Amino acid sequence: MIKARSFKGGIHPPGNKDLSSKQPIRRLPAPETVWIPLCQHMGVPSKPSVSKGDKVKRGEEIGTQNGFISLPTHSPVNGTVKSIESFPMPHRRTGPCVVIETESEDGGQVFEKWDDYSSHSPAEITERIKLAGICGMGGASFPTYVKLSPPPDKNIDTLIINGIECEPYLTADHRLMLENPDDVILGMEILAYTLGVEKCLIGIEINKPDAIELMDKKGVSVLPLKVSYPQGAEKQLIDAATGREVPAGGLPLDVGVVVQNVGTAAAVAKAVRDGEPSLRRIITVTGRGVFSPANYDACVGTLFSDLIGKSGGYTEDVKRLISGGPMMGMSLYTDGVPVTKGTSGLLALTDDEVRDVVEGPCIRCGKCVDVCPLRLTPNLIALAAENERWKLAEGFGALNCMACGTCSYVCPAGRYLVHYIKKAQDAIRANKGKEA
Amino acid sequence: MAQTRRFELAMSPHVGANQTTRKIMFDVVIALLPALAAATWFFGPRALLIVFLSAATAVVAEFLCLKFMKRPVSFALDGSAIVTGMLLAYNLPSGVPIWLPVIGTAFAIVVGKQAFGGLGHNIVNPALLGRAFLMASFPILMTAGWAAPEAWNSSEDISWGTSGIAMEEMSTIPMADAISGATPLNVLKQTFDLDASAANARNEGNTTEAQSLEERADGIRSALSCNSTYMNLLIGRSGGCLGETSVILLLVGAIYLVMRGVLELRLPVSYLGTVAVLAWVFGGSGWFNGDPLFHVLAGGVILGGIFMVSDMVTTPVTPKGRIIFGIGAGLLTMVIRRWGGYPEGCSYSILLMNLVTPLIDKLTLPRVFGEVKKNG
Repeated sequence: MIKARSFKGGIHPPGNKDLSSKQPIRRLPAPETVWIPLCQHMGVPSKPSVSKGDKVKRGEEIGTQNGFISLPTHSPVNGTVKSIESFPMPHRRTGPCVVIETESEDGGQVFEKWDDYSSHSPAEITERIKLAGICGMGGASFPTYVKLSPPPDKNIDTLIINGIECEPYLTADHRLMLENPDDVILGMEILAYTLGVEKCLIGIEINKPDAIELMDKKGVSVLPLKVSYPQGAEKQLIDAATGREVPAGGLPLDVGVVVQNVGTAAAVAKAVRDGEPSLRRIITVTGRGVFSPANYDACVGTLFSDLIGKSGGYTEDVKRLISGGPMMGMSLYTDGVPVTKGTSGLLALTDDEVRDVVEGPCIRCGKCVDVCPLRLTPNLIALAAENERWKLAEGFGALNCMACGTCSYVCPAGRYLVHYIKKAQDAIRANKGKEA
Repeated sequence: MAQTRRFELAMSPHVGANQTTRKIMFDVVIALLPALAAATWFFGPRALLIVFLSAATAVVAEFLCLKFMKRPVSFALDGSAIVTGMLLAYNLPSGVPIWLPVIGTAFAIVVGKQAFGGLGHNIVNPALLGRAFLMASFPILMTAGWAAPEAWNSSEDISWGTSGIAMEEMSTIPMADAISGATPLNVLKQTFDLDASAANARNEGNTTEAQSLEERADGIRSALSCNSTYMNLLIGRSGGCLGETSVILLLVGAIYLVMRGVLELRLPVSYLGTVAVLAWVFGGSGWFNGDPLFHVLAGGVILGGIFMVSDMVTTPVTPKGRIIFGIGAGLLTMVIRRWGGYPEGCSYSILLMNLVTPLIDKLTLPRVFGEVKKNG
């Protein structure tokens, strides 16, 4: 096997993946009621196209696309619309949800199947992916069809499928690659065909040797990568795979690369082959704060509390509930929050697992500078932000930060570096808006 | 429906490395202990007393400052004050009166650290500032106490070199009057004075005297550059400040710090490397004939290189900046040793470099990922 590659910087937090990595994906039936957020993707929420009392079928569109960076939303069940109301979201704010009382999950909308995707044009496939409401399933939830519609002046030559899953604890992508490799591979082929690229590889960290072996055996070109957080960040993955640096403020398109998550690839396969929209996703429920960590194939709109219940409930010492991974995930005040297309994990962490340090002054140890994958100086940005010197913070490159949390992770003083930098980003953007 | 359980809200990331400021500081304290043992062995229990007084003063001074400024007093026990106190004591000769470390440490903490805002905000290394303060205020006390180590006095061999030239020659050098026991660097410094006298004599036409002076200087230098001198310096059987004598035990501390991930090697390596190279270039009588090993082992370069050049707060945070800092401090150290008014330049070189740290940081900001270096 070729030597595992990586990027400069990064950290090695304890993986804690063995809590759930041996648990096969369990398909959960739809709960009695589902809360379907109208904005599960990055961009503009979809416009509700149903109203209270309407009967909806599984797979039926209940919200229509509303702008370019937007997607339609579908019902994952047959049932009756109870209401459209504001509800807590995984990103901690509230958002509009279509509440549907489930009758059944069988049948529903009938979709036209495509036996051979290559008899359709890339434009038709892109349209089908858009209508299926597919967004990136790795976390950022960016509408997939937009990534497949590069401006004509961009020459795309490489497709990278992201099977890194560098966030500790999470095992959803790993299980998906092991249990449904054919969908991942089909999705990968469809995406490569749509983009018209020859070079197509799947990046997997070497802490998942079984997945690497399986993909290799199936004839996919695998890119083994060193275990290092944030290896799965788009720019770091592209750097490791191709040696190309995505320009600051630019997109992967600018260096001729498109990156898609393995979950997205599998969803693309389902959508293009079967015509089925994005209705379910694989989600890891783990942490030492739940009794039995597991990987679920759950309906969008299933409440986190349902998932926790299926995992045996909370232990006594549960302290934090996090949607996503422990490095970038959002802590939640309630478990009455629905699963969205982008929810990769739900963590219930105990006192022993979370870091709890009293923030002290920066001692200028420089560890954050050493590990920052974007080569920023987080301590200096944070200091500028603390003193509200936004221009200074911008000069240090604050806007480049992707909030991966690597700096806060290593900070011995327990400084809330990500928080300060995000604050600086908000202020800099707000000031720019005022100037414009 | 949702359970009515309450969860803690916090900013990501939710996990973190098992490293804290306090742990780092106490690791430094632990790394300083072997050298303290050496100091106690060579200079007697008085060394222990001086270090203890200094550390205790540091904690008390920090506590009072925090109290006065209405800040959480628990910071006084975060270990940073103890490190400052210990390092200052390590920079003192064993013969100083016991009130000297108390005054020096109080100055270091109050003026050097807390006046600037406490931990993380001081511009120069407080321990070195304390030492500079004492050197300026009590120059005689700060050098008169350079008694040769007790353990060494009691032994038969009272010379650095096998020939015993060094000690004999010492007594013939006028400047030695103020010094009861000399450090190896003092002796070296005086060979440069001999060189100067020789040059004068030669200018006046007194060739024989010039020759004898030159021979004496060369004799001392060759006595300094021999294996037994190196050995004494390594073990600590030479005059000097408390903490700088035993190179081996200082290195033991350094290895511990590297293993604990506290010591970042760019600073010490670039510093000591620069000292070694420049020692060879101009550390001897002429050009390119200096003795790098002697210059690295003698004086406070190892102590400074491990514990002060790498002081986190007062040195650059950028990778390139750290290397520049080390090279700059090494250059200044050697310039002071060779041409300056002091035999040792370690502490002043670091203090001077501390002052330009913010500038170095500013000029060495790494190129942000994906950014094109601006021209000019």
